[in-house]
Amino acid sequence: MNMNRKGLLAGIAFAAPATILFSVFVAYPFLQSIYYSFTQWDSIRPPVYTGLENYKELFKDSKMIQAFNNTLKMTIFGIVVQNPLALLLAVLLNRKFRTKAFLRTVFYMPVVVSLVVTSVVWGNILQYDGLVNYLLTQLGLESAVMDWLGNINTVFPTIILLTQWQALGYCAVIYLAGLQSIPQELYEASTIDGASGFRQFRYITFPLLMPVVTIVLFLTIVGGLKLFDLPYVMTNGGPGSASYTMTLAIYVAAFGNNTYGYATAAGIVLMIFIMIVTFLQLHFTRKQEVEA
Amino acid sequence: MRTMRWQQGRQASLATEIVLILISLLFLYPVFYLFMASLKRPEDFYNPLKLPSYLYVRHYAKAFSQIDVFQGFLNTLAVCIGSLFCIVIVASMAGYAIARQQNRGFQLLFYFLLSGMIIPVQTNMFPLFRLGVDLHLIDTRTFLILLYTAGTIPFATFLYTGFMKSVPREVEESASIDGCGKFRLFWWIVFPLLLPATGTVVITNIFGFWNDLITPLLYLKDPAKMTLMPQIVQFKANNQSIDYGPIFAMCSISTLPLLLLFVFTQKYMLRGLIVGSVKG
Repeated sequence: MNMNRKGLLAGIAFAAPATILFSVFVAYPFLQSIYYSFTQWDSIRPPVYTGLENYKELFKDSKMIQAFNNTLKMTIFGIVVQNPLALLLAVLLNRKFRTKAFLRTVFYMPVVVSLVVTSVVWGNILQYDGLVNYLLTQLGLESAVMDWLGNINTVFPTIILLTQWQALGYCAVIYLAGLQSIPQELYEASTIDGASGFRQFRYITFPLLMPVVTIVLFLTIVGGLKLFDLPYVMTNGGPGSASYTMTLAIYVAAFGNNTYGYATAAGIVLMIFIMIVTFLQLHFTRKQEVEA
Repeated sequence: MRTMRWQQGRQASLATEIVLILISLLFLYPVFYLFMASLKRPEDFYNPLKLPSYLYVRHYAKAFSQIDVFQGFLNTLAVCIGSLFCIVIVASMAGYAIARQQNRGFQLLFYFLLSGMIIPVQTNMFPLFRLGVDLHLIDTRTFLILLYTAGTIPFATFLYTGFMKSVPREVEESASIDGCGKFRLFWWIVFPLLLPATGTVVITNIFGFWNDLITPLLYLKDPAKMTLMPQIVQFKANNQSIDYGPIFAMCSISTLPLLLLFVFTQKYMLRGLIVGSVKG
């Protein structure tokens, strides 16, 4: 047997475990999902092919539409608010000051705390006789006291803010790493040329940071689209369907109603949505990237 | 030559520092609140700002008596370590093969594995349930380990493949002249050089595996096999009365190990995260 052939066989042997695991537990179930999404299936009787019926149903289901809207809001908030905030925090944390290392740790801390625990703790803080309303009362703002998680208008904005609490530090640390990788000389040279702080940010920091922006946006978008734990534990999608997300709606469609084919179709729609959003985002941000 | 140092930006003004410290309280306080409230007497529980007058441990006793927290802890630990062990082994081997093989098939394999990054868990949950039943893996911790490993393969293989570029080929060539077999060559020579990538794989996934709710919720049923997160959720659901104390105790028990791990290894952890995100 010649060396080349032997090398190839070794390569196949090395790649085999990952390939097999991935094929069996990710790729194959995914192909099945595509098939099931065109069927009516309650897991007791065998699936019955119904064509596009599930997909048509999805666009008539008011809970599903609410879930889709919420998920969309979450995504937009992630892009428009979370990212600039994380970047701002990173720029500030990149400056010189005594408590810097301590603050970096503190801002990252919630990332370690699970979404389940976040839901329990904040659920307690936000309940009617909880800390937030207590503080509002102490400050003389009784009019602002409300049932934050029980009110249709406040529940989802509150959940969005909680995702910020949990994820902001993660994004900021990645931005911080990006800021650290920008050569210091560029700033020195531009300072000599008389460029102001804002102009430096606009023409040096921001363009060079674009690859990191791409990564952080990708992470926030995908994370937001998959949000499940917070609404599941805190509100179970309620009140009504005010805090439904796509993933929660899929879960309920399956385990509440035993409509597996329908739930799988919703899963496929979610995946297509993720593909479109991330494709647009990558297309847009990659164009802005420059080489240092 | 530019040395790698923790670059410093401009000096921050005192006002900036104070504002940052104030905002940081918003991030720190709920974590503090979690541990503090778990040690408060029931009658003080709804007096949010009151500190515990002494360490009241009965919430912990109650949590331990009502649910097998210790078993849950062991289950979570076993699943977490098992998954990390498997993912490091299979992904490093695959990354090595993809980076070193000239055959075009391996490039295609790379894209095939990468495609898994966009598939959400929820899309696959029912076929996986059936697969679990067919393979007699449903309601086992092994199934969880297999699912976590398979789900992490895209990211981890991507990372290892990229990292292999920084491992010089000469190392392998000289070793293979010495008559070192392919497997020994990989495990003894190449794998140790991949340590930074392994570190990144471990730190970017350990929290996700430990804190995951949906996978055990879907595929485990037996209370003796349950991990901590679904235990908390079920405990909360069973306790419709507003007895938050034991729930907070359970939350504290599940959070403390990760928090300690983070605080004591944060230097490496943040660096590993940076390698993963900026190079990836």
